[in-house]
Amino acid sequence: MENETRNQWAGAHDLWLEVFLIFNFACLTGDILLAHSENSFRNRAEYIPLWFSGAAAVLLVIGLASRLRSQSLARWKWIGYGVGWISIGVGIAGVGFHLESGFFYEHTLKSLTYAAPFAAPLAYVGLGCLLLMNRLVPFPTREWARWVVLFTLGGFAGNFGLSLSDHAVNGFFRWTEWIPVFSCALAVGFLLMLFAGEESPTFSKLCALVLVLQIVVGTTGFALHALADLHGPSKNFEQNVIHGAPPFAPMLLPNLAILGLLGLLALDRVAKQAHART
Amino acid sequence: MSFRSVFIAIVIAFALIIGALLVQRSRPRGEVDQPNAEFVKATGKCAECHSRQQYSIVHEFEMSKHATEGVTCLDCHQPQKGQEKDKIEHNGFQITAHITPANCRVCHEQIYQEFVRSRHAAPSWAAVFGAEGLTAEQAEFAENLHPGYVKRPANALAKLEGPSAIGSGCASCHSVGKPHEDGTIGNCTACHTRHTSSVAIARMPRTCGQCHMGPDHSQIEIYEESRHGILFAAQGRLLNLSAAPKSLTTRDMFVPTCATCHMSGLNGFKVTHNPGERLSYFLADPITKKRPQYTEAQQNMKQICNQCHTKPFIDRVYTQAEQVVTSTNEKVQKSLDLVAGLRKDGVLGTQPYQQPIDFVAFDLWHYDGRTSKHGAFMGGADFVQWHGNYELLKKQVELNSMAEELRAKHSHGK
Repeated sequence: MENETRNQWAGAHDLWLEVFLIFNFACLTGDILLAHSENSFRNRAEYIPLWFSGAAAVLLVIGLASRLRSQSLARWKWIGYGVGWISIGVGIAGVGFHLESGFFYEHTLKSLTYAAPFAAPLAYVGLGCLLLMNRLVPFPTREWARWVVLFTLGGFAGNFGLSLSDHAVNGFFRWTEWIPVFSCALAVGFLLMLFAGEESPTFSKLCALVLVLQIVVGTTGFALHALADLHGPSKNFEQNVIHGAPPFAPMLLPNLAILGLLGLLALDRVAKQAHART
Repeated sequence: MSFRSVFIAIVIAFALIIGALLVQRSRPRGEVDQPNAEFVKATGKCAECHSRQQYSIVHEFEMSKHATEGVTCLDCHQPQKGQEKDKIEHNGFQITAHITPANCRVCHEQIYQEFVRSRHAAPSWAAVFGAEGLTAEQAEFAENLHPGYVKRPANALAKLEGPSAIGSGCASCHSVGKPHEDGTIGNCTACHTRHTSSVAIARMPRTCGQCHMGPDHSQIEIYEESRHGILFAAQGRLLNLSAAPKSLTTRDMFVPTCATCHMSGLNGFKVTHNPGERLSYFLADPITKKRPQYTEAQQNMKQICNQCHTKPFIDRVYTQAEQVVTSTNEKVQKSLDLVAGLRKDGVLGTQPYQQPIDFVAFDLWHYDGRTSKHGAFMGGADFVQWHGNYELLKKQVELNSMAEELRAKHSHGK
């Protein structure tokens, strides 16, 4: 039985992707709680992503469990489709709401900088699309792996904008604030070439190295953000966390790196299978 | 793997990085050249919220000189020494919502030092509240500068009118000299407004007219009647009211407002936030005396007058005005003597403002005497005569008649 379970997970990148998605929705619950606390949940709509993230994580766990236990894909699929489409809707609406905080009134770089982070809700769009893709695209195929790479690329492009606009709020007061911008740009460059068709083993290894670098940058960022909050202007640590440097934001880099590594592993597996056939 | 792919990947990364650096570089210096990250954040984060809640204050601030000079909300709202009690946690910032001169003086110390020596400071407060609220040190400091005007009892008339009249009435103007727990005195925003922090608004006659109006200190009405006021009504829009105080010339202000004559550093003369530096008499007093720095103050004012008028003209105005001061003093003294006589003879009680005659006597100097003197110095002919001397004459006759009646009643009652 234990072996059977182990076999079920071994090389099943689609299952790992599902776990990745569940983990992300669960983390988003806490992230939204912190992020929207900054605004004291002034707009009732700010509760939508909070409740949705929690519910999505629970529903996806139920779907995954039913797939693993009964070997039936139907419930897993339909839960995924439902959560996926709602997630995309929540994300698109979120971008609108975030821009409404200032940018729609004054179309300037400054208002874009200090408005609520407009790229942040796109995380829901990305997760929703990944859920749909994981059900619509057969696994293991090159197409599946390339979709994962594309979403990772999109994630890093978004995170490039996010780390740029987030640190612009501080005017990049410390030079270290440029590090995530540089590292995201590097990830975008390499993943773009990977997606463009450069899938040679050596280039894939280079891409993996770039992704490992993101893990280092992200965890360092987490430590730096936590330190900044410890020495924030408020005596209250909770206030510093809510209104200061978001401690979990840099963890988006390792998170995306894991997704990218999943894509790379899947690409490698498909390449090996093709090689074995020939 | 081709080297070309790695090269392109790096070029893409560099292009993104250079784009990011260029965007950051294009930001206004005022936004990013700040003492710390918190101040950079304050250049936009405060407005992001408050423009949705109180749009006007953000808009007013954005139009201000402060905004163009890169001053942030936090520059003014950060708690200063002595403001610990007012410190509040506000969305990641520690601020004070209660702005006092302690906040303004961080950048404008000299102006504060001039202001705190003026009669707009402690004497203005003490005129209503006495020395109440002032620390012993503040009272001592101000009393030394203005003997008799600070260590004085609270205003007897205001006390009779009650706290609501004082709170919504007297205090609105006399708070310009309010003492604060942080040890400062005053309210810069009374003239400069809050988020506009405007020199132009402070130079508008109507700003001074917020308080210097009405029968007891009718400066704005006198100004509006004067040639100065008429010219301002006609040409005010052509003036450069926003000109920098230290380089203000008659090219900017070719028509004077209150501030031009009483405070501005016109054509290189010293700018001051102590209008007393150019005032030679205590015109607001029942019996007007020369100020201690009479000669210097008159010279200062005449220098300003001289930027538009010839010396003979200025001397004539001063001579005539001083004649009005002398004659008004005589008329007021006569009324004061009359009431004092009644009180001495036991015709009136010991407490003031108990009999109609008390109010006629009070109005005589407080309304008509002041109006006549102010009108004489400010070119308000009608205020010297109809609103001033005519009323002085009329009220003296009324006083005489009332005094006679009271004395008759008093002797009849014996």
